[in-house]
Amino acid sequence: MAAATERFLHLARPLAHTNIGLQTNIAPLTVQIQPQAVLSILDHAVRRDVRENSQSTRVIGALVGTRSEDGTEVEVRSCFAIPHTEEEDQVEVDVEYQKNMLALVLKASPRESLLGWYTTSHELNSFSALIQNFFAAPDTGTFPHPAIHLTISTEPGKDIETRCYISAPVAVNAERAAESCLFIQVPHKMLYGDAEKSALEAVASARDLESRSAPLVSDIESLGRSIEQTIGLLDRVSEWVNGVLDEDEEPNNALAQYLMSALSLAPKVDASQIEHDFNNHIQDVLMVSYLANTIRTQIDLSQRLATANLVSNEKEEGKGDGEKGGQRGNKRGGRGGGRSGGQQREPREPREPTE
Amino acid sequence: MSEAPKDAPFQAVQVDALVILKIARHCSSTFPTVATGSLVGMDQNGTLEITNTFAFPTVDNSASDTHQNDATNAAAAAPRAKANITYQGEMIRHLKEVNVDANNVGWYTSATMGNFVNLAFIENQFHYQKDNEKTIALVYDTSRSSQGTLALKAYRLTNLFMTVYKEGKFTTESLQKSKLSFRDILQEYPLNVYNSHLLTSFLHQLPLPAVASEAKEPTLSELNNDRIKAPLYPSIDNLDLSVDPFLEKTCDLLLESIESHYVDLNNFQFYQRQLAREQTKITQWQAKRKAENAQRTLAKQAPLPEDEWQRLFKLPQEPSRLEGMLNAKQVEQYSKQVDGFTANISAKMFAVRENLLPQ
Repeated sequence: MAAATERFLHLARPLAHTNIGLQTNIAPLTVQIQPQAVLSILDHAVRRDVRENSQSTRVIGALVGTRSEDGTEVEVRSCFAIPHTEEEDQVEVDVEYQKNMLALVLKASPRESLLGWYTTSHELNSFSALIQNFFAAPDTGTFPHPAIHLTISTEPGKDIETRCYISAPVAVNAERAAESCLFIQVPHKMLYGDAEKSALEAVASARDLESRSAPLVSDIESLGRSIEQTIGLLDRVSEWVNGVLDEDEEPNNALAQYLMSALSLAPKVDASQIEHDFNNHIQDVLMVSYLANTIRTQIDLSQRLATANLVSNEKEEGKGDGEKGGQRGNKRGGRGGGRSGGQQREPREPREPTE
Repeated sequence: MSEAPKDAPFQAVQVDALVILKIARHCSSTFPTVATGSLVGMDQNGTLEITNTFAFPTVDNSASDTHQNDATNAAAAAPRAKANITYQGEMIRHLKEVNVDANNVGWYTSATMGNFVNLAFIENQFHYQKDNEKTIALVYDTSRSSQGTLALKAYRLTNLFMTVYKEGKFTTESLQKSKLSFRDILQEYPLNVYNSHLLTSFLHQLPLPAVASEAKEPTLSELNNDRIKAPLYPSIDNLDLSVDPFLEKTCDLLLESIESHYVDLNNFQFYQRQLAREQTKITQWQAKRKAENAQRTLAKQAPLPEDEWQRLFKLPQEPSRLEGMLNAKQVEQYSKQVDGFTANISAKMFAVRENLLPQ
């Protein structure tokens, strides 16, 4: 599953300033972002400092994830926030924090590595270049792989846009190399697998609500919802088809052909076969349900017998037919049987010394 | 959805979307091994808000590990491992610097078809709950979530169970006294999802239900190649008709439960036999001592003490009832699950039959 919107062509990576003899890969790069990383960034954006003295409106953080073997595909799996301050003429990133946090994150997921960094505005300035060079540097960053820079716009009232960049070194002179670089946009897409799909569905269920929160529903409720949704879709299609038949709507060959092929996917089966399969399966289901409940009752019973007060048994003991109680218990196959036998014997001996 | 009891420190649990996704991701990436992690957040007006989470590192000693089982155990025990307590403290300290709620509010674990009720789970939750009663355990069911609906549940140990567990005695007598049954071990809490404003606006940009007006007429090949992007909600994934994998797995798990029930039963019977044997020995000894004493009184000697048997013989320890109780709870969990599944699948199957049978 992917959601990508790209309007540019990415053919080759820039040549990095390399040590001589080191082959660099200039094959194009694609970035895949997992939804949890995006959510994490958005959460960080909400939690930014809004104190008077801080100039910056954006936050930054590091991206963590995996690279494919040839380095042409990068998957951003998670990210963590880094505190930083930005003023008129200088930017400060907590390098120590970044180092410690990276170590902590990698400890929990040893197969991942540092990929780059993110920020929450689309602006690319000399501070961006400075930070980018820090993340791309050999000792503190991702070198020899390119560092990825992900920008997400978080302006209220506007669409949330994501962009992805890598960089090439460029400078007017050697002194200014640290604070300048050329950002090159690379394609990216958001990927979500089956595992996240159900999670995303639950999250999206709160999308249209004023309170922005929704309870997690049980299986049967969500089934009902899905069925309603499907019926709604079918109604819309049949409405359209009826409209075409009544010459209210413009007919469309392609759509109709598509519908025909979709309809022909329905299997043609023998009625008796269906009846047979249906009965088989429903029997299986009901059988397992019945068994599960029987087992539950049995175990419930055995638990009850295990801790029951067994008053009646003690009376029986007085009459001297404790054996009978034990046998009856055993027949039930539960622990209760064994237990009730024990109960009768147990109190007899310790009492003896007092006599 | 179950209701929280009146005496609970909070009435509902509210989970941020971020937390749900992180848990889903972590648990499914380690599947079938158990994954665990820590939850942070805060409680506010009777609602426990879980706002962030991080995974616990699993001890990766694959070199010394020969059994798959060991790895699972290590992961299941992770939340109370010493190294991880330090890790958690360190991580929370770091998160605090970037304005994340810096209170530990519990932990999460993954499960397969609801098989989470075991001793490790109880111990973990006890470990958290004894220090701070406002902690919760989230259980993410990996296999059930992949079938369409998110299976995330919040549990806490009941106060009654906490007191009994603290004493550490699960003998028949103590259970009779405390009236604790397996139903009172865990308490489920209602769970809500919560999205931030930013996230809401982001979700509105993800694939949406198709709009009524089409910009241009599509061609057939376009329709075939460019599949319509299904909306995230409501999803139609849970219309899936697979019956067999679920039934098979459930039967397996139930058999496992019966097995452990029998192990428990055998342990107990062994204990009873042992007890009976010891007691026969004691009676014999007492009879002997009595006879001896009778002789001694005849011989005008001081009688020997008759309660020496307490030193000479040792009664076997009664095995803990806890395992059995947890097993019962587990079976209850399974059968509830099966009930839910039956309700679902029979509805679907009747629908299919009606559709396919010629009218």
